[in-house]
Amino acid sequence: MSTIEIVLLIIAAIGFFVVTLYNRLVRLNVSVDEAFAQIEVQLKRRSDLIPNLVETVKGYASHESATFEKVVSARAKATSATTVADVAAADGMVTQALRGLLAVAEAYPDLKASTNFLALQEELSTTENKVAFARQFYNDNVRSLNTAVKTIPTSLFAGIAKVSARVFYEVEDPQSRQAPTVKF
Amino acid sequence: MAEVSFRGLQSANRRKTYLLLGGMGALVWVVVYAALTYFGTSTVGIVPIAVGIALISVWGSYYTSDSIVLRMTGAKLLQESDNPNLFNVIHEVVIASGLPMPKVAIVDDLAPNAFATGRDPEHAVIAFTTGILDAMDRDQLQGVVAHEMSHVANRDTLVSAVAATTAGAIALLSDMLTRMMWFSGGRRDDRDNGGNPVALVISLIVLILAPIAAMMLKSAVSRRREALADATAVAFTRNPAGLRSALEVLAADSTVVHQRSTAVAHIWIESPLDGKSVSKLFATHPPIEERIAALRAMESLGPNK
Repeated sequence: MSTIEIVLLIIAAIGFFVVTLYNRLVRLNVSVDEAFAQIEVQLKRRSDLIPNLVETVKGYASHESATFEKVVSARAKATSATTVADVAAADGMVTQALRGLLAVAEAYPDLKASTNFLALQEELSTTENKVAFARQFYNDNVRSLNTAVKTIPTSLFAGIAKVSARVFYEVEDPQSRQAPTVKF
Repeated sequence: MAEVSFRGLQSANRRKTYLLLGGMGALVWVVVYAALTYFGTSTVGIVPIAVGIALISVWGSYYTSDSIVLRMTGAKLLQESDNPNLFNVIHEVVIASGLPMPKVAIVDDLAPNAFATGRDPEHAVIAFTTGILDAMDRDQLQGVVAHEMSHVANRDTLVSAVAATTAGAIALLSDMLTRMMWFSGGRRDDRDNGGNPVALVISLIVLILAPIAAMMLKSAVSRRREALADATAVAFTRNPAGLRSALEVLAADSTVVHQRSTAVAHIWIESPLDGKSVSKLFATHPPIEERIAALRAMESLGPNK
């Protein structure tokens, strides 16, 4: 093999290496976008459930208007949010307002026993799970992207690929902060 | 073991799978070397034949695994309207895993059990017995679904096909060679080496024991993939308690899936074979108490660990 062939081979190997790293960054960035879109899909589903839920609870507990208003206004605010931080903040408010609504429902045995409410409850708990898993999947993707952006060798190409670290989706939720500290 | 977090368990089980598959590859070479020592270089030709037969027989069933396993277990495909609550739970895990939606099937059997198959995530099928759907609450079912989706995510149909091919090739090689020994004893004089008697005896022992060792390695691979699926399930749900209590229900239940075909034993979440009849070295699943203890250790770490 002549020297020129060896040099060409090395250049080709380096080129392949660079393309692989570049594509990896772009792919990670796209999956963060897709994961965020998934959160928005699930938030929309939850948002669509709210009017029906509020109407059902109203039928049995008409005088709890403060709770209803909180849910409706939180839902209205959530529709206008666009950035990750805004969507997360609005999501947290809806989550809390819904929790308050379900706590109110606990006090009305007739409501809890109604078939309409039972069906809504399964819908709501699966939607809450889907929202939670969509958030988790987004954050896992952000973690992979941010690691790639900050570690060598992928970090060297982040500028060329126009990919930068992204923000985590953090919901202000007092309940999820209560991590058990007990260790066995 | 220092690592009890799901991330640590995932990488430990992946590493062990590679080691075991590497061990199976090494075993193939040991068998070939033993054959060369015993019979001389004239036997080299049967190696590609054995590997070829093993490849063809396993790869066909791997490629069409989704339809074959459904037929063998009598599972029927479900539509979303048949069981909306089950589909809700599956949709949740699909979102948590980022995988495509699998096909869902049901096996009419009172014994609680479940399995996953399919050559890649696009052709995945997850199946549940009617017994498991009756026995599990929502969190437990979510754990079971996450375990099955973990098999899909970890490509365990492919891993077990690789293990089965290697074990099959070793069994075929050893079988062909021991037959040759009986039928062509007189041709031993065309051996290349002078015939060191110690080497001949060792080669003979290797040829006889290799298929058993290959079966053990194959079962060990299956056990690692089950432990890996438990850890990956926790990565999806971040709720080890759900799968743990589901396994406790399975451990307490003594009914066993009716078809006990050993050919499909490894795909169920709980081994359908009697614990007593299968020794620990050949078991396709780790002991259920061990799996419960591993999940309990993850619970003590708290969320997001």
